Amino acid sequence: MMNFNRPLTRRESLRTLFNLSGALTLTGAAVGALKSPLSAWSAPGKKFLVEAVGQVPGYNIKSLTRKAFDAAGGISRFIARGDVVVIKPNLSWARAPQFGATTHPEVLQAVIELCQEAGARRVRIADNTIHDARRCFAVTGAGLVAKNTGAELIHPRSSMMREMDLKGNLLGSWPVFVPLVEADKLINLPVAKHHSLSSLTLGMKNWIGAVDGSRWSLHQDIDESIVDLSRFFKPTVTLIDAIRIMTRNGPSGGSTADVAPKHTLILSDDPVAADAGAAQLFGRRPDQLGFVRLAQKSGLGTYDFSTLDRRRVLL
Amino acid sequence: MKLKHLVRLRRISQAAFLIFFLFLLVESRLPQNIYLETALAPEQDLRLGRPVTFFFQLDPLIGLSSLLSGHRPISGLGWGLAILLLTLFLGRIFCSFICPFGTLHHAVGSARPALRGSRQVQCNQKTAGQRIKYFLLTALIVSALLGLNFTGLLDPIALLFRSIALAVIPGLGAGARSIFNALGGSRSVLLSRTGYGAEEFFAPVFGYHIQAYQTAWFIGLLFLVILFLNRIRPRFWCRVLCPLGALLGLCARFSILKLKKYPEKCTQCNLCLKHCQGAASPRPDQTWETAECHMCFNCEHVCPEEALAFGFAPRPKLNPRPDIGKRALLGGLAAGFSFPLLGRLDGRIDKAPDPRLIRPPGSLAEQQFLTLCQRCGLCMKVCPTNAINPTLAEAGMGGFWTPHLIMTRGYCEYTCTLCGSVCPTGAIEPITAREKIARPVKIGSAYLDRGRCLPWSGNAPCIVCQEHCPTSPKAIYLKTDFVLRSDGKNMQVQLPYVDLKRCVGCGICENKCPVRSLPAIRTVSAGESRSSSNQILI
Repeated sequence: MMNFNRPLTRRESLRTLFNLSGALTLTGAAVGALKSPLSAWSAPGKKFLVEAVGQVPGYNIKSLTRKAFDAAGGISRFIARGDVVVIKPNLSWARAPQFGATTHPEVLQAVIELCQEAGARRVRIADNTIHDARRCFAVTGAGLVAKNTGAELIHPRSSMMREMDLKGNLLGSWPVFVPLVEADKLINLPVAKHHSLSSLTLGMKNWIGAVDGSRWSLHQDIDESIVDLSRFFKPTVTLIDAIRIMTRNGPSGGSTADVAPKHTLILSDDPVAADAGAAQLFGRRPDQLGFVRLAQKSGLGTYDFSTLDRRRVLL
Repeated sequence: MKLKHLVRLRRISQAAFLIFFLFLLVESRLPQNIYLETALAPEQDLRLGRPVTFFFQLDPLIGLSSLLSGHRPISGLGWGLAILLLTLFLGRIFCSFICPFGTLHHAVGSARPALRGSRQVQCNQKTAGQRIKYFLLTALIVSALLGLNFTGLLDPIALLFRSIALAVIPGLGAGARSIFNALGGSRSVLLSRTGYGAEEFFAPVFGYHIQAYQTAWFIGLLFLVILFLNRIRPRFWCRVLCPLGALLGLCARFSILKLKKYPEKCTQCNLCLKHCQGAASPRPDQTWETAECHMCFNCEHVCPEEALAFGFAPRPKLNPRPDIGKRALLGGLAAGFSFPLLGRLDGRIDKAPDPRLIRPPGSLAEQQFLTLCQRCGLCMKVCPTNAINPTLAEAGMGGFWTPHLIMTRGYCEYTCTLCGSVCPTGAIEPITAREKIARPVKIGSAYLDRGRCLPWSGNAPCIVCQEHCPTSPKAIYLKTDFVLRSDGKNMQVQLPYVDLKRCVGCGICENKCPVRSLPAIRTVSAGESRSSSNQILI
């Protein structure tokens, strides 16, 4: 049994992930043979991309989240009993949820509750916000979610930033928000929205909120920076909140006129595929996004949908 | 009530009020566990859960000077009036039972007295220097009447709050945080956990981030000097300098609680003088100075011969006239007339305001602002981004230590209205986030320095200012264009422009600009809603 109270070294985490993924594949296959085809994990090694859409008016976001995970084999495929799960939402701005600048609190709550149902020992929420963290957590509704679910809201503090070697093409040593690398399981929970430089901010760009330091200089080569960060932070899954998407005036927004309802959640274990899937909601081809192209080229994943186990579930 | 109990009661009261003061001071910040009950309503206001302005309301000098100068009653003025009323009956009971600054001096002065024996007796004799406080009170009140209210520079509550909030806490905080950061960044798990743990424990009091304030070193130094003066004379501040003490001393003339003296019992042991807090001539052969007496009841408590006794006078009779001194009064009048004029000589009000003088959102027009602002530092303490700082020269001599925003240190968060909600006198009006956006309340405007801007100067693509701009639609907009790089090739970039109509001067662009030291986009006060003349557009 691992000792969860100490940070993992890189090598250990890779080994654990490797072991875990092997075990999971086997379990998945075994379970798949026994259970209904919906939750079956048909093709080992093949990444999945789930698109869950709420069609009924007044649909329940938690049910939609559960459906998305069920289509990928159920939450327990990803979260084991006793795991310390860290969720990285996008809570960058002190904006109310309807402006679409931050992860929807109901999606956040649903994911936390699913992790807790799967037996997670602790669920932590961590984001190094742009606006003052206290205000962000209160105004975006994350504070209320943490209180209601008992999840731990980690406030970014200077003592929680540690210089680490990102081993990127562009980025070397950089201060990293430590709780994100000390997790057993990391769930990337971004919101899909417009961005003036990278044109969209989705899953991979969310890692800018996982580092500290002079991160605004990353914009001088945004695509390379995003890919370097995605090479370092390896989420178990990415769930992109596209319940409503901000189509212009991003990334901070501030008007409901900038927001379009999409009632969609995108779930994938391939960070590139997740972003590619969400890009389509904006009417963009994935290859129109520089960082998605670069990420595929760097071997972080694929936006070639034909190689993915692609599912669409409706509620 | 027995006297022994009264002195004990005084100590309990002093400790309780000092602790309460410090508690409210520490609570003057957004707590970490704050959340909104309904997250789905837009533009909700985050407010502090504690009455953090309580001590400012309790201070009659703040209420009085605001009333005389700004012609408006501060909220909770009744508390201050109640203290005045109490003083009319019981003398300067505030100084010995309530005032947290007085308690601090009391503690410092008696912890380990610097002076012993006959020197202790001598230093507690009344001196002419004690008239200085009447000079200061006169100067402050007259100046306030004439439109420059700098009472808060010397008001004990404002001074204590400013010193602890802007100097003591940030100073200790920075020291401790550097230890925690070293621990937290350590590779050793035990050490790094200790680092986080200690910071978690420590942050609610000392701030969630490093707090730093312009001129705070001087605020801290002055505080230390004022505390050190207790080594020369116990409660030097309270006796010689405190303008609130002077005001209460004037009211004590009518007090019906009096010190009765029985000279025939006195053995000239001088114990009463040794323990006198106010240098109020307690010895039975001297005339008791009501205006100087802090009502600490020490003299009666220590007197072995029962030659002194506090008691209520059955018939109201005026106490001895306070020893103000003609010179202190005339000097105070002269100073009080001069300061408001001196304060205008640098032309900050009449000619041109300083471009750096960006006042907090909701601030009144400059002239009115200076009639109310007490420079207490409460807005600076609550500002979640540490943007609000004391001025040095930005507001001219008359506005020394008033609040202004330094955007390289913080920025004004678009939906935050905390500073106005806590301002004790209303120099910063309480506005809601909805008003701030809808009016809009502009505090200045941004301008680009194209020579330093990365895309404009052909150095690199960048859109950080536009990305952070909080208005909708954004006040900073981009135009795709080609700029010449140093190698002679064209580079495609997005060039930022500022739309002055939309810009509210929040300064987040300046704060986040990757061009460090002197950002490529900067904020100036021009365009601020509170001024009709400091404008750019018609």
